[in-house]
Amino acid sequence: MTTVLRIVLILMSFLVLIVMLRKVRQSKARIEDSMFWVFFALLLVVFSIFPQAADWLSDLVGTMSTSNFIFLLMIFLLLVKSFSMSMRISQLETRVKELVQRIALTNQEVERRLAAEQEETGNGTEKAVSTGGKKLVGEREAK
Amino acid sequence: MSEVLVIIPAYNEEENIERVVRNLETHYPEFDYVVVNDGSKDSTAEICRKNGYNLLDLPVNLGLAGGFQAGLKYAWYHHYSYAVQFDGDGQHRPEYIDAMQKKMEGGYDIVIGSRFVTEKKPKSMRMLGSNLIATAIRLTTGVKIKDPTSGMRMFSRKMIEEFALGLNYGPEPDTVSYLIKQGAKVAEVQVTMDERIAGVSYLNPINAVKYMSKMLFSILLIQNFRKRDRRYKKKAGGTEE
Repeated sequence: MTTVLRIVLILMSFLVLIVMLRKVRQSKARIEDSMFWVFFALLLVVFSIFPQAADWLSDLVGTMSTSNFIFLLMIFLLLVKSFSMSMRISQLETRVKELVQRIALTNQEVERRLAAEQEETGNGTEKAVSTGGKKLVGEREAK
Repeated sequence: MSEVLVIIPAYNEEENIERVVRNLETHYPEFDYVVVNDGSKDSTAEICRKNGYNLLDLPVNLGLAGGFQAGLKYAWYHHYSYAVQFDGDGQHRPEYIDAMQKKMEGGYDIVIGSRFVTEKKPKSMRMLGSNLIATAIRLTTGVKIKDPTSGMRMFSRKMIEEFALGLNYGPEPDTVSYLIKQGAKVAEVQVTMDERIAGVSYLNPINAVKYMSKMLFSILLIQNFRKRDRRYKKKAGGTEE
């Protein structure tokens, strides 16, 4: 590895570390999610400071040069990350979908019962019930 | 209460929804219906509320599959025997629901309102897509579906359960293909469809190509790897619960 590449890697790693830790500080990222990036950055710092470790691993894997090994490692780690993110998005979308459907079904039930109540009690309380219904709709929209 | 629930997914259908629902209410009161407003940006929901339509109002947009599934959940919780997928843009004619139900009672799980049972398929780009999907289904299941892309489908009680509670049950040809493979019985009934009167169709050339490739990829490859929930496996076949 050339010195320039090592410096670039170190600078980049520290940038990632700073950005990520700041996000945690500002409560914009969960600690669980920051772990990967912190680990990723630290790994690159270690390889930049001790290039012998990277050289040794590169020989072991059989890549032409150490920098190639570093690239391969980064690509691999990012692939794993994007796979796990893809899985999480799938789960999240399913959950959101379930929630949205549940909200709609519950609201429909509430509206139906309000309407039935209104019919039962007759015209006397019609006004109160209809504003009640509206309030419910308003609340939902406000969210 | 009716045995049949007509599920009308509606996304930005303010120009059509009143006509579609009024037609159902006045001429076909024997069927229950529910409009699923899929987080429309226009006044679809307000129109339904103003007219007192039976409305399932999704607070955010989920897309056709999620919206239709919400309707099926409604059908499942309210114990309907049959549910029909019915377009909110007035393409589908309710006069065929009865025939579809009759067919259903002959022991089918899914009945497709098909444009090409007795009628010949016209030769167009769109029908080329339809043919491709039909071929894919035939290759994987051995069953001939003449109009796999028809959006008018009726589902039996046990299909309602499976579609309502399962994951990866979009109301699309790939799910139909998967279910045929799992032993579901599918029939087709000849229907006529109208052109959409107002509003914009979702089907522009780019979306059509996307849809086609997604369907073919799904039918030919991915659906073969699905594992079916044991709950439904036991009930698979023609017999009603």
